[in-house]
Amino acid sequence: MLSTVGLTHYLVVAAVLFTLGVLGIFINRKNIILVLMCIEMMLLAVNINMVSFSAFLHDLAGQVFTFFILTVAAAEVAIGLAIVTVFFRNRGSIEVDDTNMMKG
Amino acid sequence: MLAFADLVFYMFAAMLLGSAMGVIFAKNPMHCVLLLILTFFNAAGLFILLGAEFIGLLLVMVYVGAIAVMFLFVLMTIDIDFAVLKEGFASYLPSGLIVGAVLMAELVIAGQAGLFSGARISTLTAMPAPDGVENIRALGQVLFTHYLFPFQVAALILLVAMIGAIVLTHRRREGVRRQNVMAQIARTREDSLSIVKVKPGQGI
Amino acid sequence: MEALFALVTAENALLIAKNLALILCITLPLLGAVAYLTLAERKVIGWMQLRVGPNRVGPYGLLQPIADAVKLIFKETIIPADASKVVFMIAPAMVMVPALIAWAVIPFGEGMVLADINLGVLYLLATSSLGVYGVLMSGWASNSKYPFLGAVRSAAQMVSYEVSMGLTLLSIILMSGSMNLSDIVMAQKGMWYMIPAFPMFVVFIISILAETNRAPFDLPEGEAELVAGFHAEYGSMPFALFFLGEYANMILMSAMTAVLFMGGWLPPVDMAPFTWVPGIVWFAAKIAFVLFIFLWVRATLPRYRYDQLMRLGWKVFLPFTLIWLVLTASAMHLLGKV
Repeated sequence: MLSTVGLTHYLVVAAVLFTLGVLGIFINRKNIILVLMCIEMMLLAVNINMVSFSAFLHDLAGQVFTFFILTVAAAEVAIGLAIVTVFFRNRGSIEVDDTNMMKG
Repeated sequence: MLAFADLVFYMFAAMLLGSAMGVIFAKNPMHCVLLLILTFFNAAGLFILLGAEFIGLLLVMVYVGAIAVMFLFVLMTIDIDFAVLKEGFASYLPSGLIVGAVLMAELVIAGQAGLFSGARISTLTAMPAPDGVENIRALGQVLFTHYLFPFQVAALILLVAMIGAIVLTHRRREGVRRQNVMAQIARTREDSLSIVKVKPGQGI
Repeated sequence: MEALFALVTAENALLIAKNLALILCITLPLLGAVAYLTLAERKVIGWMQLRVGPNRVGPYGLLQPIADAVKLIFKETIIPADASKVVFMIAPAMVMVPALIAWAVIPFGEGMVLADINLGVLYLLATSSLGVYGVLMSGWASNSKYPFLGAVRSAAQMVSYEVSMGLTLLSIILMSGSMNLSDIVMAQKGMWYMIPAFPMFVVFIISILAETNRAPFDLPEGEAELVAGFHAEYGSMPFALFFLGEYANMILMSAMTAVLFMGGWLPPVDMAPFTWVPGIVWFAAKIAFVLFIFLWVRATLPRYRYDQLMRLGWKVFLPFTLIWLVLTASAMHLLGKV
């Protein structure tokens, strides 16, 4: 039995996931942590794209780039959550609308 | 004809998208993180299905084992009424749906136009995967030779992120007594003990 | 739909039945071992403290685990009123499941492994990092302060010691040149890795004590301060699942130690009387030895303080394992192995 799932199937999954990430940012725009989570979902969609291209084209570059995206995503979350924590300590809130005070 | 691997693909893809929907619509942010973990897990399943075992397991280790734990930690330790943050959900929904629809339409049109079709991109191969070499070995051979400099830079980014996170969140609290292990080990009999002759009935 | 039905062929059914049978062959004895490990723990610690341990149910107390199981099954399942019910009920399974699925890659003998994958070590690390979630979920879903504190402590502890565990594994991978567990065992034919990498063996044993939340690192449970830690609100079968999960994890980590440092199914010396014994017996004996270390430590050492635990993980083990990794890499280079 030959597999009928091709590159397109994976690309569709990634596209839907990316759109869901964008939608999530819009409807959860008050909560910084949820916005960060939606960004992670979008990065994941990009990763799915990279890996599926890499697999179907027999090209390792896609997987190498996924590796780098993972690194950057980890760094981004670490810094992002650190900023959220500090922000919460100073303002007692994590609403995006409250981020209007400078040198806080 | 449906192969068994196809069934697995549809299962992973359905769970992935279902839990991703859950992440953006769930009321409780805690449930959002748990569903996000499920999303990552199913994505790892897809990667392994594609033959990228190393990236799949790395995704589980990095995202599920570390990043999601950070999210959970911050959510658990921040004392906020998350219901307030969910207000206005309905008013943002239309604009979100419009943007989402436009984006989806663009992606579909791009796909239809054949931008991603095999004939067009098969000439662009950058790093051909060697045949008969296991995934991790092939990846290592590429990563430590051709991509050595980006690899070092990635390590540097992680180091900067680590230092940055510590500098941002660390605060030295006053009045906390710390244990000085070296001082405890370096303590000798002479500086902690003295034998005093006490005469009966007099005290010291 | 028809395509789905086409999948139901005799060939596929046979394949699934075979794999299910293999999985049962691993999990059923494992669950039995988990049950009797609880008895062994009480007996061994009893003898170390000059007591006799449980001896009422059956000869020498051998039926005690069954009595415990029956008691727990017939208790009522209580869910706290303010608990998040779904998460509360999933959490115990989240502790148990990773401890079971990890056994898929553990080799019991030459070729005796369910899934002989190339990335066995990475798979083990990935599954062991999942154990945190059961603890975090139970602590949060209970909606009560002691479980919450226990969960936060436990998560921080497990994440910290995973770092030193991963670095220890890296030096083993460097020495064997493979991530396949069967290959790692075969690479130890001449000498077990616990001899050249003895410091890493010690670090690994201490790290798995912390990973499984066992004494002297059982702060998440710390009955003196946190009542029972993250499972304070649990009773009946959900509690039993936590309990089983902890012991299944102990056996899993012991098996990992046996495979990575003590030559898995290989006999200690490749000579006549030792090679007569089948490999799986050697493997079981090594697991039993590491489990005995677990119990021995618990009977001997007092509980660590939390800041001491964190200091040990980050300020002692992390630099030490990093230096050892560099040393191993240099040694491998100088010996011309890489």
